[in-house]
Amino acid sequence: MNIDQIKKEFPIFDEKIQNNDLVYLDSANSSQKPKVVVDRINEFYTKQFSNVGRSVHYLAVAATNLYENTRTSVQKYINAKDKNEIVFTKGATEALNLVANTLGQSYLKEGDEVLITELEHHSNYVPWHFLRKSKNIKINFAEINEEGEITLEEIEKKITPKTRLISITHLSNVTGAILPVKEITQLAHSKGIIVVVDGCQGAPHLKLDMQELDCDFYAISCHKMYGPTGLGILYGKKKWLEELPPYQGGGGMINEVKKDRISYGELPNKYEAGTMATAQVIAFDQSIKFLESIGIENVMKHEADLVEYGQELLQRNNSVKLIGNPKNKGGVLSFTIEGVHPHDIATILDEDGVAIRAGHHCCQILHDKLNIPASARASVGIYNTKEDLDQLNQSINNCKKIFNL
Amino acid sequence: MNLKELYQEIILEHGKNPRNLRKTEGFNKDAKGNNPLCGDNVHVYLKLNGQKIVEDASFEGSGCAISMASASIMTDLIKGKNEHEAKEIVEDFLGMIKENPELKSEHLSKDEKTKLMCLSGVKQYPMRVKCATLSWHTMVSAFDEKTEEVKTEN
Ligand SMILES: Cc1ncc(COP(=O)(O)O)c(C=O)c1O
Repeated sequence: MNIDQIKKEFPIFDEKIQNNDLVYLDSANSSQKPKVVVDRINEFYTKQFSNVGRSVHYLAVAATNLYENTRTSVQKYINAKDKNEIVFTKGATEALNLVANTLGQSYLKEGDEVLITELEHHSNYVPWHFLRKSKNIKINFAEINEEGEITLEEIEKKITPKTRLISITHLSNVTGAILPVKEITQLAHSKGIIVVVDGCQGAPHLKLDMQELDCDFYAISCHKMYGPTGLGILYGKKKWLEELPPYQGGGGMINEVKKDRISYGELPNKYEAGTMATAQVIAFDQSIKFLESIGIENVMKHEADLVEYGQELLQRNNSVKLIGNPKNKGGVLSFTIEGVHPHDIATILDEDGVAIRAGHHCCQILHDKLNIPASARASVGIYNTKEDLDQLNQSINNCKKIFNL
Repeated sequence: MNLKELYQEIILEHGKNPRNLRKTEGFNKDAKGNNPLCGDNVHVYLKLNGQKIVEDASFEGSGCAISMASASIMTDLIKGKNEHEAKEIVEDFLGMIKENPELKSEHLSKDEKTKLMCLSGVKQYPMRVKCATLSWHTMVSAFDEKTEEVKTEN
């Protein structure tokens, strides 16, 4: 696999960012977009645009087909059983809110317990908090170990007779820990507990097989997966999506509307109320094709090499402290530098064209647990190279110099 | 180039050893400020005497070098000023950080102006302006006895 060639497919790397070559290490936040995706959006708007599913004219039918093609591509990519198990949303955040809201309406009852983990992004905590407020459900937290992992044993320990749902991240956006989702799901199902997975960081970097994972719901963020913003995917087992009530009401999701009664549409329309992010859905097909053309095994291998290299580099750099040391680790390197606040690190690195993120990365629970207000995070994507990590290390050294360390 | 202007020695020094990083005993005004985007937070304490003159000023909190240095320098130079003077200085400082090339307030000594001007480097870093201004907004809030937390998202 030729990374230089792959990198060339991303137009942004031809740009000078404040006179620097871009060293983009913020893919966990959002990935850059390959040209095929950008072009597809342009092409759709300039040559093929129409709203989907509403009219019978030529363009509308063609657009509807394109839109549905992406659904089929996603189904195949994640190996879902049925194409109607794929629901488009505005992001993973909406996907998780959809699950929490509809389960809250019809499944979870007062006193029920939801088990999440200390690694969760706010979007896999706040929606459950809403139910804590409105339905008096209880939220329990599985705790991280020294390495920043969540183990199967810890999950098992935190399950009580009242646990009805477990909602966990596939891959932590801070420590990089990959959770044993399949094993957790087996355990949960043996106790009649539903499993929801926040797959934001899993989907772009891991091999996805819904039938093998067997979780009940899986949320995907397309903009982290070399796709457009404003788009996410909720995978849900058909029996759940059929059984649960609709989330938002409006056009497209209905069957029949009368003054005294309304019936709802079938899947997948039931969960896609209103005009959807049509161009984004259609362009996302190109993101999947792009990932398929590289092969997810190659993606995983390349990113694992990068993480190992970066981890070693930063471990050797004294005064840099890596956050978490999970055995099974995805492409995330979070760190602190003794004596330099993460925001200062990010500003100084930016001056060299090195784009990282500083803050709590929407994981305040985790940062509280680690007793740090914020951290710096470098995260990789398919276009990164070892040279990028060398530059990261060099800029960190510059940072230390400025701060007289 | 720009980084040198942002991280001047005096900023690094105040950032590392902030003055008045404590809680004033017997304070009679205080307010909290926080920057939800980056998690910086500050709690400003003021002790005013009968003539409304700041007898002591201090702060607690955590943040980047810029925000710590700014709070440190602010609490140092506000001591001995009355409320009216202090507010005028805040206006002057915020104006300088936003657009004015220099400080104008006659309540600031030359030395104080030089110190504050060290923070002018943030002008070139729009995302960092709020780091420099959070403690100042919070101090005004303390004077005005506002109970709401100050939030500077912009
Ligand atoms: C782990 C995790 N969960 C959820 C989200 C939210 O995803 P989206 O931006 O698609 O709403 C993110 C991205 O910020 C994330 O990293």
